[in-house]
Amino acid sequence: MMINSNMTNTKIEDREMVRLLEIERFAIHDGPGIRTVVFFQGCPLHCPWCANPESQTVSAQLFYDVQKCAKCGECVNSCPYDSLSLCDGVLDIDRLACKGCGECVEHCPQSAMKLVGVEMSVDEVMSVILRDKDYYESSGGGVTFSGGEALLQLDCLLELLKRCNAEGISTAIETCGQVPTSSIINVLPYVDLLLFDVKHTDSNKLKQVIGASKELIMDNLRQIAWYDSSKVVIRVPCVAGFNFEDAFFDELFELALGLNIRRVELLPYHILGVEKYRKLGLQYKGNGKSLDVMLLNPIKERGDSLDLHVCFSI
Amino acid sequence: MSGFNVEVAQNVEISKKIPCQKPLLEQLTIMERYTDVHRSMSNSTKEHREVECLKVLYPTLFREIESCDLIAGRIDFLPIGFGSVTSLGGVGHYCVFRKLREMQTQLDQSQKHRIDKLYDYWLDHDVKTQFNKETVNGTTLGTFIDCDYPMITTARLSGMMLDYPLLLDNGISGLKQILQRHLEYAPNNSFYQSGIECLNLFTQCAEALQTMVRKDIESASQSRKKELLTMYESLGVIKEDKPQTFHQAIQLFWLYALLAGVINYGRLDDYLGPYLAADLEAGRLSEQEAYDYILSLWTLIENRRTTVNGRIIVGGRGRKHPKEADIFLHLAMQVAKNSRYVEPQFTLRVDENTSEQIWDEAMDAIGAGATYPTLYNDEINVPAVAYGMRIDEKTAEQYVPFGCTEFVIQGQSTGTPNICINILKILTIFLNGGIDPIDGVRKDGGVKIKRLEDFGSYEDFYDGFKELLNYYLDLAVEAQYNSYIVMNRYVGFLFSSLLTADCISRGKPILGGGVRYLGGTNETYGNINTSDSLQAIKELVFEQHKYSLREINDALLANFEGYELMRKHCVECQKYGNDLSDADNTANDLYEFVAKGVRDRGIAIGMQYYLIVISNNQLNTEWGNQTGASPDGRLSAMYMNPANNPQGGANKNGPTALLNSLARFDAKYHGGSVQNIKFTPALFNGYRDTIKCLFKTYFRKGGCHLMVTIVDRGILEDAMAHPEKYPDLIVRVSGFSAVFVDLSPNIQQELLSRVLYDDKQ
Repeated sequence: MMINSNMTNTKIEDREMVRLLEIERFAIHDGPGIRTVVFFQGCPLHCPWCANPESQTVSAQLFYDVQKCAKCGECVNSCPYDSLSLCDGVLDIDRLACKGCGECVEHCPQSAMKLVGVEMSVDEVMSVILRDKDYYESSGGGVTFSGGEALLQLDCLLELLKRCNAEGISTAIETCGQVPTSSIINVLPYVDLLLFDVKHTDSNKLKQVIGASKELIMDNLRQIAWYDSSKVVIRVPCVAGFNFEDAFFDELFELALGLNIRRVELLPYHILGVEKYRKLGLQYKGNGKSLDVMLLNPIKERGDSLDLHVCFSI
Repeated sequence: MSGFNVEVAQNVEISKKIPCQKPLLEQLTIMERYTDVHRSMSNSTKEHREVECLKVLYPTLFREIESCDLIAGRIDFLPIGFGSVTSLGGVGHYCVFRKLREMQTQLDQSQKHRIDKLYDYWLDHDVKTQFNKETVNGTTLGTFIDCDYPMITTARLSGMMLDYPLLLDNGISGLKQILQRHLEYAPNNSFYQSGIECLNLFTQCAEALQTMVRKDIESASQSRKKELLTMYESLGVIKEDKPQTFHQAIQLFWLYALLAGVINYGRLDDYLGPYLAADLEAGRLSEQEAYDYILSLWTLIENRRTTVNGRIIVGGRGRKHPKEADIFLHLAMQVAKNSRYVEPQFTLRVDENTSEQIWDEAMDAIGAGATYPTLYNDEINVPAVAYGMRIDEKTAEQYVPFGCTEFVIQGQSTGTPNICINILKILTIFLNGGIDPIDGVRKDGGVKIKRLEDFGSYEDFYDGFKELLNYYLDLAVEAQYNSYIVMNRYVGFLFSSLLTADCISRGKPILGGGVRYLGGTNETYGNINTSDSLQAIKELVFEQHKYSLREINDALLANFEGYELMRKHCVECQKYGNDLSDADNTANDLYEFVAKGVRDRGIAIGMQYYLIVISNNQLNTEWGNQTGASPDGRLSAMYMNPANNPQGGANKNGPTALLNSLARFDAKYHGGSVQNIKFTPALFNGYRDTIKCLFKTYFRKGGCHLMVTIVDRGILEDAMAHPEKYPDLIVRVSGFSAVFVDLSPNIQQELLSRVLYDDKQ
């Protein structure tokens, strides 16, 4: 089940529990220094190039690795919901019937089944975050709340941000911008860095391809910039056939300059997530070729010449 | 005949030795002469006998000077001779039986009987064999390196790092005067008498080298002539007098180290730095010339090919001449980066005063793939050594790691690891009521072990295991101590003793009561597999009640065949190296039990210290090949974890989590613990400042040490398939570096299994 934009007001029943994809330690790509990135589950968009499709839905997702599978049928026997069947050496997963109970994961001798997505208490998340506190301090790092979309689980996010602030841990949020403006305004006082995705400036493309509202996203970006533009980094996934054209980058740079946002980070499209689609039984809708990072050089030069600081990692 | 195989390999030998320059028959004649002198001196003092035997070897065994040498002195060694370590010849009056047999195969039929004669004589006189005869027991304690046993022992005097300032400050004649003064008060002291003889032999060797150099000068080019003249002059000075220049100081140090048979060198920055600084200051030497001298020293050390030794230490607390030492340090760092040798093992001690420039140079060298310097953290190690060795912090500042990582106090202590213990093998024996599942032999040493069904709790099980470990630890300390008694019975290690406190003032050789701190170390293996196995038993048997101990052991005996699901559950239990409290606590508890057990026993038997080293050469693989499956999910005959790092692939939470786990062990209970980490160049060099912060923070959090390998993803796999393409791909095996393609495939596999940290997720 995909979450779409009208679900941005999803309330978490137990405000202490947060639904996560995973927590990654020693992350060095999402903000400065050594960081821990907390990946929230649930996203209001459905970008066809998304490298973490398992983060789009707010529930445990079953990964099935056909390479590891020995077709022994242990999982079929263990499933209490009859959602698995083995026929002619092919394992069929009825993903609608699957409740993500994990019995098949427990019984698979080959580790071919894996549940991704966990529910953790705020305390548990904090205890992981705190383990690397010394590393954040020495390297100018901190914690990044990413996703999915972290702002969809606002209460927990706020709690985590406040606790990080109390511990003196620097915080960052990575957001797609497709969230209620009030949510953004709520978290701003507790955030040191905002990694804000601008995927396009064309409202039609935003709506049709990824289900986003240009109006909402731009409004949110403006709110943040007015609050403190120095905290913002605009992030752009560079996808051929979608936004990888001069006209878009011209508009983007103009937008950044107009809001006095100086930092832009380019994220070249890659296909590292393709395997995950297979494991989830989903069809991959992105195009099958990673973007040549060398193509980003002229864009960076153009942005830098406008007195922006444009970066990208290889 | 001794009741064990005397021809078994006695040490790790990856780097191929340079063959002896002398023709075979001449080698044979030298060995016969040595044997004759040894036989004829059987009624003399051991010191007198030793020096007379040394005279047979030196200067005869000096090799020709190579055209690249700027420092004189290369030595051959034969299957019979005198030494202190197993990686160069052997220990004391030694015979390496396996190499003697190899030599026999190359001889004419008519000469072969000469080898047999030598072989038979040395069966009763090789020092190590005499030790083995008295010590090994055929079930629980075997000889180096016989992986059938849970514990192995040897006699050797590894890791001696000498008091070179005493040598440099006094010169040979000054040392002789000191000995002569002592001799006036103790005219019959054979240590003094033979010590003087040793120093005379030194002078004779320097003169012999001068003769070689002079011969080379005749045919040398103009530029080479100048180099040879410098060597000639330096030898002329240092054969008696103390050195005045950097070159003379290196020459004196080097020639002495060769004759002493020591293969670890110590804090050369502090010892040689003042000479270097003075020469540079006076304009007698250019930086380039100094670099070339150091490179030449590096080449001479590399050419000794000791595989796991060759330690040179720079930096850190307690240097007498830090400013001058740093001049040496900077040049040596460049040499270490550029030379791409596996030896010397270039080692940097860091503390809170280490400059950013030194840090950056170190990161540059490591990032270039040198695997050097290895990093040691004084802020942790100095107080830890003070506690562990029961000495004050000032003295502890002179700690130096030798070999794979073991600590000694330079010029003041012994620290030779004459015992290795395989803790995991002992666990598999314990699980099987005292029988080793790999060969069905009882190895319980008479300890009563309960049936698996009778263990009522995890603590009950763990206590039983500890009881068996106690038996082995008792055996370990006795064997270690006995190795000193036996070596002391036969030899004095005179050259080393002269430069070891307090041999001269006491008039005794090192092991005869001379050394200030009689220490030793015990290499432990399989530590983490064992603690992860205990953790799995705790979780699966006593907490989740998923399996019984019997069921788990049945699966182990079947090497998990038919028990794939159980193996998965074993693998999924918490593992050390992921910054998870339970697994790390289990590991720490076992660590402290073994470490304190060894230390307490050392004190009780009368040693200054006896400490475990969680070091590693490649024995984790070789011994793993002879160890049954274990409850952590490791298969039978699979390599074991390296040093105190996790089993390859078990650490899944990134480098901060790994380092947090590593920092968990309190360093004061061990005498060195090898910590390896592996990065891709993209991560290490692309995020240099971040990695530097990572290391520094780890050190601040209690990390004692790091050894770093930089290698690209896929390179090791490719090197296995196409070794010819990678002649100089250097990797850190654990306590030593090696050219990857020189390693055997099982060792290569273990290295491949280790987690490689990359910038891509």
